[in-house]
Amino acid sequence: MSTFLITVGVGLVTAAILALSAIAFTLEYAVSRVANFAHGELLTIGAYAAYTGQNYFHQNVAAAALIAAAAGMLAGLALNTSVIEQFRGRSPATVLIATLGVSLIVQNVLTMIYGAADVSYSFAQGGLHHVGPFLWTTSDIEVILSAVGVCGLIYLLLQHTRLGKAIRAVSQDRALAQVSGIPARRVVMQTWGLAGAVSGFAGFMLADTLGTFGPTLGFGFLLLTITAAVAGGLGRPYPTLGGALLVGLVIQIGGAYTSSAYQNVYAFLLLVALMLLRPNGLFVHSARAVRA
Amino acid sequence: MYWVSVFTEAGIFAILALGLDMVWGWCGDFDLAFYGYLALGSYMTMVLTIGRPTPPVEYIIGGRLPYPLALVLADVAVVALAAVIGAIALRNLREIYFAVTTLGAVSALYVWVENYTPLFDGYNGVYGLINPGQTLLRLTYDGYRVGFLGAVLVVLLLAYLLAQRLSRSPFGRMVRSVREDERASAAYGRPVFFVKYRAYLVGAAFAGLAGGLFAVFISAFNPSAWTPQELLLIYAAILVGGRGNPRGVILGTFVVYVGFIELTRYLPSPASRPDFGPALRQVLIGLLIILMLKFRPEGILPERAGGRQPRRPAPGQAPGLAAGPPAEPAGAVAGAGPASADLADQEGGPQ
Repeated sequence: MSTFLITVGVGLVTAAILALSAIAFTLEYAVSRVANFAHGELLTIGAYAAYTGQNYFHQNVAAAALIAAAAGMLAGLALNTSVIEQFRGRSPATVLIATLGVSLIVQNVLTMIYGAADVSYSFAQGGLHHVGPFLWTTSDIEVILSAVGVCGLIYLLLQHTRLGKAIRAVSQDRALAQVSGIPARRVVMQTWGLAGAVSGFAGFMLADTLGTFGPTLGFGFLLLTITAAVAGGLGRPYPTLGGALLVGLVIQIGGAYTSSAYQNVYAFLLLVALMLLRPNGLFVHSARAVRA
Repeated sequence: MYWVSVFTEAGIFAILALGLDMVWGWCGDFDLAFYGYLALGSYMTMVLTIGRPTPPVEYIIGGRLPYPLALVLADVAVVALAAVIGAIALRNLREIYFAVTTLGAVSALYVWVENYTPLFDGYNGVYGLINPGQTLLRLTYDGYRVGFLGAVLVVLLLAYLLAQRLSRSPFGRMVRSVREDERASAAYGRPVFFVKYRAYLVGAAFAGLAGGLFAVFISAFNPSAWTPQELLLIYAAILVGGRGNPRGVILGTFVVYVGFIELTRYLPSPASRPDFGPALRQVLIGLLIILMLKFRPEGILPERAGGRQPRRPAPGQAPGLAAGPPAEPAGAVAGAGPASADLADQEGGPQ
């Protein structure tokens, strides 16, 4: 069993979680044109909600995941109503600072409730399985399968429902969507709910995979999320999957050959390379295809 | 003595805030790497003055240079780092892309310093009393603290005079013209990148200087002292005081540090929860930032245009931009148009 392939397997697990987080980030960007620096906190809220819920639901992983998603959805809706919509029409940098303020608030409210020390779940990780060339725990496999499932659902939602069509219209041009009779405000709201739910779920999976987590869980994941979203081209959900795969593999393989502590360094190097070479995303064919 | 240390800290952070304001207030770039510059300035000053490390502690250089020389060399190192990051981040990246790149830079630096122990002893950090001039002037400990406060305030005054002079110089007006409308400014022949780059380097030099003073003040520096969140406090200070106005920035720093921090020291913190009080304080800082941005983005002392033109209502600030793109920036660039605190919507992203 080569170490390299095991590392690739770990990278795929990271990429699966990252894909959900980055798609949610990119959906938020698509409808509201903001870089949500409080995005990580949606993940953290999901993780803590599952932590609170685990005692009531007798170690049921599915119930914990649902609680995480529900909490993330509420947080996403609240964030949109209380901050994002309030700052509509202001410059992107202003909204960015406001979301950074939200991030600070959420992290510290969680610290006030749960304390700054790390907490952990008591879910069993399951045995090790050989799947093709990879070596995964049961929970790793669950993470990958559920991420693929959620991505599939998002695809169906965006392409084959009225809401999905409306989301795509609003992300192209909110004003134009509004005059075409689409209730833009409500669609934006629903998108934030969706993104929040996906983020909360991703936060639960991230916390479960890491083992222990604290109030800065999501903020630490933000740089990876943004790098994946930028690699896909901000605001474009499907290429973001490719971005997540790239980032997940690069940081895990890079980390395996030096130290896993250096993951953020690799993410930064990748980000710089992207910014300098392909700031509009990796999978854009012509310069005109920006901001689809 | 307690108030002496509060004012010393506020004075040091006012210098950092003046530097950060050159990037955020004058150029309009939201930078998240600045605390890294303060940290590097602090680390470098220490390793240049406290002498060889005794194992198991390890760090680079370990010199015993006189403090002023160390301060200058540390600042050179900071500006060199800023030159690299600025060259990457400022060339084509604006708005969120710029913010993300600088966040990435500071995260990478942080992770590296924390984990690569031969540099600055990793998580343990570097410590050692510097106290320049204490033996020379034969000061008592308390006398020394007061003297150091005086020195910090003198440096702050010099930094303020320099910032004010730069702000009113043709260079200051050029920087603002670039901020207000980059394309118009470029069309008038302003070298957009170099204007921003120069302001960035001067700002970083201020941050490095603040770091060098900070090293003396706390005589220890480790990674827990410079999480990215610390920088938000500086942004809050700039927002409160008045972005783009050096006087306002200093006022804001003192208001936030002396007023806000001291008032919130007495927040309740149950004995079983030592994290509670500090966390509540951070929550209040976050609220302060959001409320200032929402209701008074120009701060207590708003920016003025070069001190000559009368103030007129800032463009792009009108309420009721609910739908549709904001109004076009008014005409061509007029040298130093008065700054709207909320910058006219430039095209986000790479250009």
